[in-house]
Parts: sequence; C-alpha cells; structure tokens
Amino acid sequence: MTVRPDPDNNETTALFDLAHFSGQHVLEIGCGDGRLTWRYAARAAHVTAIDPFAEAIRRAKENLPSELRYRVELHHIAFKDFAAASEPSAFDMAILSWSLC
Amino acid sequence: MVHALEDIHRLLRPGGDLIDIHPVLEAPLVEVYQGGKVIFTESWPDYSGEDYRQAEQALAQVVARRLFVIDGSGEFDFLTYGSSVAELRNFLAEAGAYEERPKDDAVVARESELFAHVEEIMQAAGEGAEVADHEKARITRLKPI
Repeated sequence: MTVRPDPDNNETTALFDLAHFSGQHVLEIGCGDGRLTWRYAARAAHVTAIDPFAEAIRRAKENLPSELRYRVELHHIAFKDFAAASEPSAFDMAILSWSLC
Repeated sequence: MVHALEDIHRLLRPGGDLIDIHPVLEAPLVEVYQGGKVIFTESWPDYSGEDYRQAEQALAQVVARRLFVIDGSGEFDFLTYGSSVAELRNFLAEAGAYEERPKDDAVVARESELFAHVEEIMQAAGEGAEVADHEKARITRLKPI
C-alpha cells in the first residue's frame, strides 16, 4: 500500500528549469508536510518554510531529513503574521507552492 | 491574495524571484493505470476551479500594477498514484485537495459512483493496477519591479 506523489519528478524538473537556488535565502509559503521543500533545499543556502496548518508543520518537522536540519527552518504561522514580523528585502526567493488559492 | 503578493514584494530583495505553482483552470482527472498505460480516465465531479481562477486574477493584477513582471513560465503534469482508491482519497483529503467548499449530496453521490466504478476497473485489471489523481499545473517566475 503506497501513495506516490509525482514519482516522475515533473514538478521538481519544472522548478529547477525556472529557479536557481545556489546561495539563495528562500521563503516557501504553504510548505505543507515539506514534500517539495526536501526536493530543492539542499541546493539553497537557507530555507524558511511556513504553513498555517499545525498538523502539516508537525509532519514536516517529523519528516525533515537530518542532512537538511541546519538548512531548513519550519514555522507554524500564517503568512500575514510572518510578513508583518519580517524585515523588508529579507529573501532572495519566495515560493508559493500550490498556496496562492 | 493581492495583499499577500504585495507582502511578498516587500520581503523580496530587488532582483529576487517569486515562484508561483498552482493548478491550471482545468478539471483534474481520475485515471487508472495498468502496466504503465492509462486504461480509464474521467474528470473529478463538480470541479469549479474558482480558487485557481482567483489566483490567476491576483497575479494578473499585480503584473498590471507593475509590482511584478513575469520572467518565465511553464506547465507540467502532476500525478499522485495510489494502490487503492481509499488510500488515494485519504491522502488527498489529508493534503486538503479539492476541499475548498462543502460538497452537496449530489456531488458526494457522483464521487461515490465514480470511485465505485474505478474500484471495479482496478479489480478487473488485476494486480499492479494503480489509481491516479492527474493535475496539470503552471509554474511562473516573477521579478519584483
């Protein structure tokens, strides 16, 4: 019994065609359980991944690969609140991963 | 949504990138695969795509206001396979897919009918058959102006 999301890596291929992560400080908005985050985070300098759903962030923290522990920060917070508490020009890249809706 | 894009504009350094990924305005499909081939395909019942239409409008609005400029885009197929209908539906429910609004009884009945049919097809197809949720998605790179 298994569920296999995007086993052909079509999403990652499309992402790497458009986004160049080397040296970048990335904000991912709506990271969910980290499914997409883990696929690109090793290429970035640092990733701040946020999601408003506590259960999603709990699962993301559980699933965070150990090699990404010092590169990825996960926060349970709504984007509106995160933005209000953040400095301008703090990120090189923002990713809306299926979350602008 | 526009307000969120304005906040993102403020958080990005000049010359930074906004990457948006969201489904296209096209009903996702339920498919059954056997031996790598599609043996059944049908649209999800009662798919409105209203949230994604609003996302497209919000992006168009910030581009029209010259807050961002579109710097590149592409489309891709996103498939989620399950070895059973129940497993796939549970996974999608946990991910919050297609839950944007309460479903009326008629829609729930159509979904039940569709998935009962899918289960019959999978049983007939034998071991190794998989059910898939098939969405098309658009990825867009925008630059803050």
